[in-house]
Amino acid sequence: MRGINRHRLVNVLIGGSFVALLLLAWEGAGEAGWISSYRFPVPTKLVDACWELATVGFPDGVTIWTHFITTFERILQGYGLALITAIPLGIIIGRIEVLDWMLLPVITFARSIATLSLLPLIITWFGAGELAKVLLIAYGCFWVMLTQTIAAVKYVDPIYIRAAETLEASSVGVFLRVVLPAALPRIFAGARTALGVGFMVIVGAEMIGTIKGLGALVMEARRFYRTDMTVAGMMMIGLLGFGISAGLLWLERWVLPWNRGLEQVRRS
Amino acid sequence: MKRAGAPHLFYGTAGIALVLLSWEMAARSGLVAPEALPAPTVAIAVAFRTIPTQDLLHDVTISLARVTAGFVIGGSLGVAIGIGAGWYRWFGAILRPLLELLRPIPPLAWIPMAIIWFGLGEPSKIFVIVLGAFFPVVTNAYKGMLGIDPTILRAAQTMGVHGFKLLLQVALPAAMPDIAIGLRIGWGLSFGILVAAELIAANSGLGYLIMHARELGQTSVIIFGILAIGSVNLTTDYFIGWLIRRSVGRWHAT
Repeated sequence: MRGINRHRLVNVLIGGSFVALLLLAWEGAGEAGWISSYRFPVPTKLVDACWELATVGFPDGVTIWTHFITTFERILQGYGLALITAIPLGIIIGRIEVLDWMLLPVITFARSIATLSLLPLIITWFGAGELAKVLLIAYGCFWVMLTQTIAAVKYVDPIYIRAAETLEASSVGVFLRVVLPAALPRIFAGARTALGVGFMVIVGAEMIGTIKGLGALVMEARRFYRTDMTVAGMMMIGLLGFGISAGLLWLERWVLPWNRGLEQVRRS
Repeated sequence: MKRAGAPHLFYGTAGIALVLLSWEMAARSGLVAPEALPAPTVAIAVAFRTIPTQDLLHDVTISLARVTAGFVIGGSLGVAIGIGAGWYRWFGAILRPLLELLRPIPPLAWIPMAIIWFGLGEPSKIFVIVLGAFFPVVTNAYKGMLGIDPTILRAAQTMGVHGFKLLLQVALPAAMPDIAIGLRIGWGLSFGILVAAELIAANSGLGYLIMHARELGQTSVIIFGILAIGSVNLTTDYFIGWLIRRSVGRWHAT
């Protein structure tokens, strides 16, 4: 055990020093004028940009906190909408075979439609406001979530169900206490994938017709020739993305303790 | 995988027919405003009347060319780096933190910088698509390399296969299923990114087609464009899946 940990530590040190070396070279090359500070804003300038974002704000004094909260709210609303519709529907479709057969091609096609290609249609229907963005996120998350929920319910090991039925559990009991817990890990995995999709969609959706939100921040910064702001904004987007997926992983461990053993087996 | 039998085919066709029929009926009966959601037959007829066929073909071709170029570059980089990082320990240790830092940034967030670095032309779009293909491929290739059963490698070593030959003839085929999964995910992602890139900054391609139709208020063309994008994506994805089954499926029964 300890040997493995030490090995991992060495690896992190090697990789970390490589990243540090890159940053140093970048700064040095910028100082020396080998690379244009407009095209590749140096790390120290990025730190300044982050500070400016947090205190003064950009564009028009919109601080990073507002951008964060705006983006986060949009994701949460669209994602929530997708979850509360897709999970019950998926459970129903997964339990009724004929429905599953009928809807499979429809779902496959709906999934193939690039979510952002709906943007022009949604704008004509609902205008370019908040609702359009929320609905786009919801669409992207919905089909991923639906597919995963159907699969989760469909592939519950029939032995579990038969065992429960042998023990004369009622069908509602079987569903609530056997099918659902067995399907939940997969549903959760779907929820994680869906959030990733939602995150991708929002950045694209925010690039059109708004000045609030992280996607708008990077696009507006380019318009004002503030590349340092653009890169700082990208860092913030990465940070939010990382935070969201880490948070979900933590939630999954906390909500689904019975899945932990499986997780460890998979990791090793 | 379950083979699609006759009942699946029957019910599947029925499902699609039902959806199209209710859409058609809803629009024709005036249940939804036909200007907002034209019936599918109307949308397709209007689209073919308003856009010249060669323009349409040109848009499809240019979109496919962009996504293919980006996918080929990003995919090959991803495969090469993923395999390298999985095979040579030092290489993996050096690159992993860098990749982990860059991965959470969605490819679309690179669009502004791509425009600054490469201008508004083709290279900036291809760059963003490259990123979209690269990350899923590199992650899966790396995972595939680490997941190789060491027994296979040791068995091959016992039989005198070493070094580069071991990588090429034993490790690579063993990691192939994961690499194939990565490539397929990468293709889907590249396609989504292509559409977004064309919406935001382009004057040709399928994404531009629908954005332009919105400015002109042609809802029928928008709907036709969306369906066309879905169909192209579905067809190409199916083709890639078929290629994978043909090539990788020979060694791995999945």
